Amino acid sequence: MELVDGLTPSMRRVARMFVSSDAVADEVVQEAWVGVLKGLAGYEGRASLRTWIFRILVNIAKGRGQREARSVPFATLAGDDLDAPTFDAAAFDHSGGWSTLPFDWRGMPDERVTGRETLAVIGRAIASLPPMQAHVIRLRDVLGWSSDEVRNALDLTDTNQRVLLHRARAKVRAAVEEHLRSVSA
Amino acid sequence: MSRDLVCREVVELINGYLDGSLPADVRAAVEAHLAGCDGCTMVLEEFRQTIAMTGMLTEEQVASAQRDILLAAFRGWATA
Repeated sequence: MELVDGLTPSMRRVARMFVSSDAVADEVVQEAWVGVLKGLAGYEGRASLRTWIFRILVNIAKGRGQREARSVPFATLAGDDLDAPTFDAAAFDHSGGWSTLPFDWRGMPDERVTGRETLAVIGRAIASLPPMQAHVIRLRDVLGWSSDEVRNALDLTDTNQRVLLHRARAKVRAAVEEHLRSVSA
Repeated sequence: MSRDLVCREVVELINGYLDGSLPADVRAAVEAHLAGCDGCTMVLEEFRQTIAMTGMLTEEQVASAQRDILLAAFRGWATA
């Protein structure tokens, strides 16, 4: 039961990425647990239990999503800025070295840097990301999942997972930089 | 990796470096660059700290930020 209670909120969030409403996501989660119970005898322990459960969940959620004919193109979910550089081109000189360094917040007091305001800035930055970038950074950096777990849960290639995470972190870091620059002035 | 990396390239590799997902030769090239570059070392530290702070958030805080943004968008929409 502890497993069920512990995983259900994350399962609901992952399911919601594929279907159009919370209600359908709840049905998907229930259906996934039924699938888990049915399949448990055949579970070979090759993947971690959590990875295996999420694979079942994602299969069901994807099936539902397709039946809902809610086929959102990957580019819409992933964001159209995956190729964008981490820093503005003007930050570098012609040879690719720094010409303008980002704001250096290392000298600022810790309580200022990691205070509530900065955390709120990070929360807003994550909430403003394209959906798939937000999902990846939430699972990886907020919930602490491994890259394999995230790849499996969201059915991403290794490369896509890395690119989405890098873009997401780059934007969150930039938001933190902007915030700390403004409060240090 | 046969050539040296420049800062503009290193910043794109920083998250792969932090996650330990770079091939050994690329990783070595990033490390060689970082050893001689204060700017990139600073950016690395900023990413590391950003990730640590992101880990201090709860899912509820992210979800409520998302709600706030939606509400703000709706308010803007209603008054437009």
